[in-house]
Amino acid sequence: MTTLTRQDLNFGQVVADILCEFLEVAIHLILYVREVYPSGIFQKKKKYNVPVQMSCHPELNQYIQDTLHCVKPLIEKNEAEKVVIVIMDKERHPVERFVFEISQPPLLSISSETLLSHVEQLLRAVILKISVCDAVLDNNPPGCTFTVLVHTREAATRNMEKIQVIKDFPWMVADEQEVHMQGSRLIPLKTMTSDLVKMQLYVEERAQKTS
Amino acid sequence: MMLHGGQFHVYYSRSKTTHIIATNLPNSKINELRGEKVVRPEWITDSIKAGRQLSYLQYQLYAKQKGLSFPSLCLRKLDQQDLAGANIHTFPHHSSSSSSKGGLPLPQKPSLSAPKPSHAGPGAGLPLLEPPAEQSQVSSRQVSSDAPHRDQEQGLKVNGSLRNPKGGGIKLNGLHGEGQWEEHSLTSGRAKDSTLTNGHVHRFNGALKLTDMGHHPGGLTQDVQPEPRASVGPEVDPYDGPRTPSPIPSHQPRTSPVTRHKRDSDSPSTQHQVPSLASPTNHDVSTFSDPTPARPHPSDPGSRVRLNGSHHSGDPTHNHTHQDLSDQSVKPVARGGAEGGIISEFYSYSRLHHISTWRSEFAEYVTSLQCRKRTAGGAVFSGKEKLKRLRAQRSSGVSSMPAPQVRQSCILHVDMDCFFVSVGIRHRPDLKGKPVAVTSNRGPGRVAQRPGTNPQLEFQYYQQKRNRHQTGEPRPDKTDGDLEMTPSPEDISEHCHGNGVAQDQASLSMAEIASCSYEARQAGVKNGMCFGQAKKLCPELKAVPYDFQAYKEVALAMFETLASYTHHIEALSCDEALVDATALLAEVGVTPDELASAIRADVMEKTGCSASVGMGSNILLARMATRRAKPNGQYLLRSEEVDDFIRDQSVTSLPGVGRSMGSKLASLGVSSCGDLQQVSMARLQREFGPRTGQTLFRFCRGLDDRPVRSEKERKSVSAEMNYNIRFTKVEEAESFLNNLSMEVQKRLQGAGLKGRRVTLKVMMRKPGAPVEPAKYGGHGICDNLARSVTLGQATDSGKLIAQEAIKLFHAMRLDVTDMRGVGLQVQLLDGGPQAPAQDAQRSIRDLLQAPRRPSSNTTTSCTAAPNSTSSSTLSTSTALSDADAIPSGSSSGASFNQATSSSLMEPPTSLSDPIPSTSKGEPPPRTPNHAHSRLNLSIEVPSPSQVDRSVLEALPPELREQVERTWSRREEEEEEQPGASCSVTPPPLRDLDFSSSPPPDAHPPPGTLLLQIPNQPGQTGSTGIILALPDFSQVDPDVFAALPKELQEELRSAYSRREGAQPQVEEKNPLLQLKQPAAGRTKRRYKRKNASPAKKGPSPLKRLHPGTSPAKSSPSKPPPPAFRLKDDPSGLKTENGPSSSSMKPDVPEVLSKFIPRPVPTLAGACELSDIRTLLREWVTTISEPMEEDILQVVKYCTELVEDKDLEKLDIIIKYMKRIMQQSVESVWSMAFDFIVDNVQVVVQQMYGSTLKIT
Repeated sequence: MTTLTRQDLNFGQVVADILCEFLEVAIHLILYVREVYPSGIFQKKKKYNVPVQMSCHPELNQYIQDTLHCVKPLIEKNEAEKVVIVIMDKERHPVERFVFEISQPPLLSISSETLLSHVEQLLRAVILKISVCDAVLDNNPPGCTFTVLVHTREAATRNMEKIQVIKDFPWMVADEQEVHMQGSRLIPLKTMTSDLVKMQLYVEERAQKTS
Repeated sequence: MMLHGGQFHVYYSRSKTTHIIATNLPNSKINELRGEKVVRPEWITDSIKAGRQLSYLQYQLYAKQKGLSFPSLCLRKLDQQDLAGANIHTFPHHSSSSSSKGGLPLPQKPSLSAPKPSHAGPGAGLPLLEPPAEQSQVSSRQVSSDAPHRDQEQGLKVNGSLRNPKGGGIKLNGLHGEGQWEEHSLTSGRAKDSTLTNGHVHRFNGALKLTDMGHHPGGLTQDVQPEPRASVGPEVDPYDGPRTPSPIPSHQPRTSPVTRHKRDSDSPSTQHQVPSLASPTNHDVSTFSDPTPARPHPSDPGSRVRLNGSHHSGDPTHNHTHQDLSDQSVKPVARGGAEGGIISEFYSYSRLHHISTWRSEFAEYVTSLQCRKRTAGGAVFSGKEKLKRLRAQRSSGVSSMPAPQVRQSCILHVDMDCFFVSVGIRHRPDLKGKPVAVTSNRGPGRVAQRPGTNPQLEFQYYQQKRNRHQTGEPRPDKTDGDLEMTPSPEDISEHCHGNGVAQDQASLSMAEIASCSYEARQAGVKNGMCFGQAKKLCPELKAVPYDFQAYKEVALAMFETLASYTHHIEALSCDEALVDATALLAEVGVTPDELASAIRADVMEKTGCSASVGMGSNILLARMATRRAKPNGQYLLRSEEVDDFIRDQSVTSLPGVGRSMGSKLASLGVSSCGDLQQVSMARLQREFGPRTGQTLFRFCRGLDDRPVRSEKERKSVSAEMNYNIRFTKVEEAESFLNNLSMEVQKRLQGAGLKGRRVTLKVMMRKPGAPVEPAKYGGHGICDNLARSVTLGQATDSGKLIAQEAIKLFHAMRLDVTDMRGVGLQVQLLDGGPQAPAQDAQRSIRDLLQAPRRPSSNTTTSCTAAPNSTSSSTLSTSTALSDADAIPSGSSSGASFNQATSSSLMEPPTSLSDPIPSTSKGEPPPRTPNHAHSRLNLSIEVPSPSQVDRSVLEALPPELREQVERTWSRREEEEEEQPGASCSVTPPPLRDLDFSSSPPPDAHPPPGTLLLQIPNQPGQTGSTGIILALPDFSQVDPDVFAALPKELQEELRSAYSRREGAQPQVEEKNPLLQLKQPAAGRTKRRYKRKNASPAKKGPSPLKRLHPGTSPAKSSPSKPPPPAFRLKDDPSGLKTENGPSSSSMKPDVPEVLSKFIPRPVPTLAGACELSDIRTLLREWVTTISEPMEEDILQVVKYCTELVEDKDLEKLDIIIKYMKRIMQQSVESVWSMAFDFIVDNVQVVVQQMYGSTLKIT
């Protein structure tokens, strides 16, 4: 039984791998559930032992992959505080923000063999929450798009400029209007705490979506 | 002593004085004399007996012995070479002679001192001329030249001095006293004394004076040592000096009156005289003035003395009779509590008292060890050295293996085996191995039945009581407790009864067995059993008398032994201690078992008594291990064995699980800890309350995180007497309370503490119970009543305490003849020294706590309790009077209250003046009394319905008028302005801040977030309301305009005043904040209790924040942020950090995510199900939520937000919404709104948006 700590080299990588994999699934699912794209481009697949919807549109998939690829180093270094999937209306005003708030658990360790399956259970719960979140959310106006924002900790952005993970795929500072929503309401969806990662997912929803 | 070459120094000189002899030293002296040889007087007597100078080591006076009330004897010996044959002219001296205060001129004085001019010479008559303090000195110093007469003479003198209070309670410094004395001698015409006139000179050339004195065979003032008053029987013995008149007419001029007096006056033993002074019926003066002061007890002709269950009437003419050990059991009857010294008498002879004071003394001893260690910079641990040597030997003998890896903590519980017995027989080998019991009875164990008793009835009663408690349940295992610390009569009788011999119970001695040997235990004898009963069970049972001195010596030796190993000791009682050996083991590298055997061997060697040691990784386990170790063994409970071990333990062996809890557990089907482990935390908390439940939950798993506390804080100081209380008149009871207060004062001062809450406990004979209980002087079957009052300021003044106690007493309206026990307790203690610094702060705290009703455990459900039936008028009036209760002078919100309570109050003298506040909702009569004690600064006037008319009538006319005026004024106000009080009822701004923005890392221990679920329904009726001053901007102008002019003006002035006071408040607030969680045990009333006015307008909360409130988008948000931030610097970080602006990716986060934070808990619960249970219980069991509880919930929710557990928060809020809005009480939905509003603010700040609540 080995106990790895934060100092161990691969620890951040483990977390980042797991999270990015999860985020990919989650983004696809959100896009499906929130009907950002027609349901025709999604295919039912199985992940975490539950059915999920994955897009089969190559460009969309590429975009998501690339984005997450760039998020990964941040998560590895525990520099990403939030990963936000913003759903915007035609005027590019956000109507919904799915916020994955990532923090380190109080006790960081990979000590147990059951850890991974435990994490998988937790992630599955989050996925399930996403797939039923339309129950607590109002319908979105037609013609929505989406974008992915990352809230970083401290001065992580500075380094990001220097090291571009993917060429010609740089991060940009988000527009104020993409970040801010007037009169938003917060709907907590799920909080998971494992030895590996602590994450909570909540949705910020604009009060009047059809304006 | 002089004859044998000793010298006696009047003044302490560091260079010349070799030994300091004392039996009683105040703290300051102990500090001052640290490093000197301070020995007990026995050293001299024993040395004389032995004919050589004995080693002083055994006679060292270590800890304060205030329990023993010996006046100190300051005797310095210059030359201790030749002690043999020395005669010490010790003189019995009434302990309190010098420590009395009050300066009452006593009529007895002349008669005492005057009649004996022949012996004392002029000195005797002189006291009349002198200030009383000097008198006492003189008389105690006077020795007639005529040896045979000396005794009598001295006796007289002492009598005289006894009655002489020191003028005005002024403490004499040595110089002053000396000088006075010299003057006095001068006037007396003693040529010789006149040489000494100058006290200063006198002081510095002792030798000269010595010779001087030598010339006068007649006028010798020799070493009249104030002989320790024989408060404890055995200790008296060595001091029989006075009764053996010294054949040596030589004079030792070095009487030490000055230092001695200083000591005396420092010493806490004021008991004897003070009470009598304070008592209005001072008829016992004659007792003291008769020539028997030297006796261990002032044998009051009126008092009956009980010796071993039989009666001896005190013989006032016998000076020298009471020498035997049985003295300790002689208890004067408090028939008519007016007898001055009765209380101290009681305490002098009560073994429980001794044992309990020892406990605190040893605790203090340990504390002093700590101090000494600190000052000395590192103590020598002889025991530790020994261990090291042992270890070295062992490792050299074998191979030097590395120190065992005992990184785990290790607690040792050291407990003497059958302490009282083994001490009692340690010098009596003939008794070893025989059944022995320590008891006061040494007769055949039979006494005649007294008239008026009905033991059968009592036994029946106890039997029934016991049956209710399920007769069969196992009693707490007492096998390792050598003495029952509180053998209540119930226990005793139960034992007797339990052994099935009830029929001739009455004829058997009721003297209980304090401790019995293991042999006796085999025969079925138990601790606390009545001796007569035990004798039946075990005819060969030998009785051993108490020997308190020996107990003390042995106990001290044990503690010294332990202290030679480590200073991480906690004294649990006089014969058991906890030792945190973690560090020691790691350092020395021995195993716990080795350490334990070393300690046990050491204790055996030094005390001759065996000790058992239990070891475990925490206190709980160590104590349980001791059970297995007994007798005379040791047991190490290894962590891997814990689970198996504890599973089989009976629940009653857990600390804190007594009979009642045990039976309650048994009713749940739980008898062993293993059973208990099956019970969920939620269930336990439901059954036993959140805190106890949690403790049980942990204990039964062997978890215990209590640290070994070498330094302990006392929580309360009390004096209680339930023996021989038989009053006939109210005055007697009053004077008894006076005396008891003095005892409390003594203890408070001894501990250097002051308290703010006074609780009066009274035991009343249960109606129908026999007038005389079976146990002589006992209390029989009683109802216990208690009342408490909170004072505005901490006090240690016996007078003040007595005042309050008497008021409480009157409020209870009891039949004094049925009183069987009286106790006074002072709580909410503050350390004395820092008081000035805390004063201002405390007054604010008072403000916050003011309306918290002291939760008096009243069994008579509030005969006088305000009966507020939520009629709107009444609640308004309580609101107003609550306002009144708040100190007018304390800076912030108080001024407002002044305003509301209109002109009754005088303007505060100055803002910083800490004017005492009083808590509201007290039994009515307090109020007028308070008016008294606070010199008309009183601002607390309860509503008319709450005031006892008779008390009101007893008030001086002016006061009464004032009170009545207030009422009428109030009524006017209410009529004019029914909404007046509601319109100005804001949430307590600072309170909100405390809870909604707790410092992130200063989470209070789980236990303190008690969700108060008041089980006393009576209490909810009389809620008080605190009226804090809202921000002016938050006051609805309309409402303000609607107020009567007078009120408006006062409000305005209050606001302007507050502005001045504001900065002060802000400074103090951080302090308050830290304090707040700790203060959580007291209940604060929920503001919105004021429901009736609230219904008329918008919710008070909403009204608080009209649009004028700056920087707030939501109208229903609590205090403006500016105020918050200033108020709560630590909250600033968490709340402002992730504000909306920081949502941009490039804005740095203030919050550090790396600090692991504790999981937020609500009343110790963190699991969702537990929290739900708690909340449901909260909402369903009480009709009106208390503000404090609501704040706790808000705080918890805030923590959840900060802990990024929005999901849980969401669930909890939804849950609360469901249960609270379902509740019929509208206050609950208001409470919910309040909680949600607060949470939303936090969420808004953290996340930039508010929760969607569906």
